[in-house]
Amino acid sequence: MRLLLAEDDDDLVSTLKKDLQTAGYAVDVANNGIDAEYLGSEMIYDVAVLDLGLPQRNGIDVLKNWRASNNHLPVIVLTARNAWHERVDGFKAGADDYLGKPFHVEELLARITALLHRSSQQPGGTLNVAGLSLDEEKQTVTTEDNDTHKLTGIEYRLLRYFLLNPERVLSKSKLTEHIYDFDSEKDSNVIEVYVRHLRQILGKDRIETRRGQGYVFRDSN
Amino acid sequence: MQSLQTKLGTGLLLSLIIAFSALWLLVSINVQYLAEEYIASRLKHDAETILSNVNFDKKNHISIDTMRIGLVYNQPFSGHYFIISTDNQTITSRSLWDQKLNHQKVNTGEQLQSLQPGPEQQPLLLVSAGYKKQGQQLTISVAEDLNPINENISQFKYWFAAMAIGMLLTLVMFQIFILRKSLIPLIKIQHELKSLQQGQLEKLSTDAPSELHPLINEVNHLLEVMQQRLLRSRNSLGDLAHAIKKPLTVIKQLTDKNDIPDTSKYTLIKQADDIYQITERILKRARLAGHSHSGTLFSFTDDLSALIKTLEMMHTENALKLTSHIPDNIICPVDREDMMELLGNLLDNAYKWATQKIKLSVNTNSDLHICIEDDGPGAEHKQINELSKRGVRLDEKVQGHGFGLAIAADIITDYNGSINFKQSDELGGFRVDITLPLHQ
Repeated sequence: MRLLLAEDDDDLVSTLKKDLQTAGYAVDVANNGIDAEYLGSEMIYDVAVLDLGLPQRNGIDVLKNWRASNNHLPVIVLTARNAWHERVDGFKAGADDYLGKPFHVEELLARITALLHRSSQQPGGTLNVAGLSLDEEKQTVTTEDNDTHKLTGIEYRLLRYFLLNPERVLSKSKLTEHIYDFDSEKDSNVIEVYVRHLRQILGKDRIETRRGQGYVFRDSN
Repeated sequence: MQSLQTKLGTGLLLSLIIAFSALWLLVSINVQYLAEEYIASRLKHDAETILSNVNFDKKNHISIDTMRIGLVYNQPFSGHYFIISTDNQTITSRSLWDQKLNHQKVNTGEQLQSLQPGPEQQPLLLVSAGYKKQGQQLTISVAEDLNPINENISQFKYWFAAMAIGMLLTLVMFQIFILRKSLIPLIKIQHELKSLQQGQLEKLSTDAPSELHPLINEVNHLLEVMQQRLLRSRNSLGDLAHAIKKPLTVIKQLTDKNDIPDTSKYTLIKQADDIYQITERILKRARLAGHSHSGTLFSFTDDLSALIKTLEMMHTENALKLTSHIPDNIICPVDREDMMELLGNLLDNAYKWATQKIKLSVNTNSDLHICIEDDGPGAEHKQINELSKRGVRLDEKVQGHGFGLAIAADIITDYNGSINFKQSDELGGFRVDITLPLHQ
C-alpha cells in the first residue's frame, strides 16, 4: 500500500514515516500543499494522511481540489484544528476520517487500516478474504488449514494489495507503484520473485498469471 | 419609558383640545357681546323714534302717538316694551300690560344699559336714555326680549362646537397618520434589530431619515468591530492551538517509543496530556462567541445534518442508529461554532458509548431544550450525583465523558443555560438535558 504523508513538521515526519514504513506502507512525504496536491493527483496512492495546516496551500483547499477533479483517494485529515465546526468543514470538503493532534501512532494506524478496508468494501478488523486471514499487526497470514506464516515486508505489502483488490488484473508496474515509494529502487522483475514466494505459501492457484497483463488474485477456489 | 407614538399623540391631542376649547369660548362670548350691542343700538333708535312722538300738553302731561311707534309696542308681551317717565308721570307701552320694569331716571344726554327679567320670564335688555323736550326732562327706557336672539346664538354655538369637534377629530386622525408615517423608520429599525439578534441580518440598513443615521452608523460600526475582533481572536487562537499541538504531537510520538526509561516516560506522558487538556479547554472557552450577535447562528436543518454525517464517518466501527425529533423552523439562539462544539462533544460521547441507539430530541417553549440519550453503560448514580453537585471539572472523568462534558458545560454557562445528567429511562444509558434561554 502506498501512502502519501502531507505534513510540514520535520520531527513529526521523521518519526511518523518510520512507524508507517514498519507497518508496511510505502511512504512518500510532501511538506507543502502544492506538492501534496500534485502527488495526490498521481493516482498511485491508496491512502493519504493530510495535515490541514500546510504551508503554501491550505490542506482543505488541497482536499477540495482533489475532490473537484474526481479524485476519490481515501484521505485521513490530521490536524491541530479540531474544533467541531472545523471537523464538519473537513468532512464537507471530502475527508474520509479525522484525527486530532496530538495522537497515538496506533490510533492513526488503526484508522488507516479501517479506511483501507472500508474503501475496498471489506469489513473491519482482520482482513479475511477467501479463507485467508491477514494479521496486519503481526504481518502474518493464516491459511485455510490453519497454518500461520510469517511474511517479509514486501511479501506482506504485496499480499495485502492482492487481498484488497481480489479478482482484478494487476499489472506488474501497478503492483510496483503501490508497494514501493519514490526513494526505493524499483525492479518489476522482483515482483515475479515475490509472487513465487506467495504461491509457495498460499498454493499455486491463488495467484493466476495473465500473460502480457499481470496477475489476478482468485478469491474463490 | 412611554412609547414615542403615545407621547407625541397625547401631547398633540391635548394641545388641540385646549386650542379648540379656547377658540369656542372666545367666539361664544364675542357673539353674545356683539348681539347685545347691536340690539342696544337698535333700542336707542327706537327710543329716539318714541321721543319724536312724545308731546307735552299745557299741563305738562305726556301724550304719545302710539300708532306711529310700531305695532309691537301695542301687542301684549310682544317682547318690545317702553317706559317714558318724567318727574311726575310714567307711561308704559301697552305691550307691558300690568307688569312693571325696574327703570331709573337718567340725566339728559346719558344712557344706561342693563339686563333684567321681564314678563313671562323674558330676559330683557333695557336701554334708558335721558332727554329734554319742550323744556321737560324725561327718561325713555326701551326693552327687548333677548330670547329669539339667544336662541340663534345657542344654535350658532351648537353648530360651531359640532364643527370644531369634527375638525378636531379630522386633525387628530391626520396627526396620527403623520405620526405613524414618520415613525415607520423607527419601527423598521426595531424589526431589523430583532433579525440582527436572531442572526438573520449582519447589519442595519442605512435607508432611514437623516436623524437616525448617526445611530445606525454607530451600531453598524460596533457590529463590524465586534465581528472583526471575534474573527481575529478566533484565528489567533486557532494558530496558537496549532502551534502548541505540534510539539505535543512530537512528544507523544516519542513517548510511544520504548527508548525512554519508564519512570520519566509516564511523567512526560502525564505532563503532555495535562498541557493538551488545559490548552484545549481554555482555548475552546476563549473561542466562544457567546451571545454577542456577531456570528452566524446554528441551523438545525443544515448544520445538524452535517454534524451528524461527520460523527457517522468518525464512528464507523459499530453500526449505530441515531433518531432525532426536531420540530420544523426552530430558531437556535446560539452561534454556529459554539453550538457545533456543544452538540459535537455531547453526541461524540453518545457515539462512543452507545451500543445501538442514540436519541436526540429538541423542543422549544420559552427556552430551547435539547436531550441526548444513549443505550450504553451510562454513568453510575454516584458519579451522576457528583457531576450534578459540583459541576463538571477538568479532572473528573465519568467513563471518559469528562473532557467533552467540561467543554459543553463551559459553553452552556456562557449562554446562561443549564445542563443535567441522569440515567436514561427510555434507552438505559447516559442522558444529558440542556436548557438554553431563547431571549437574553
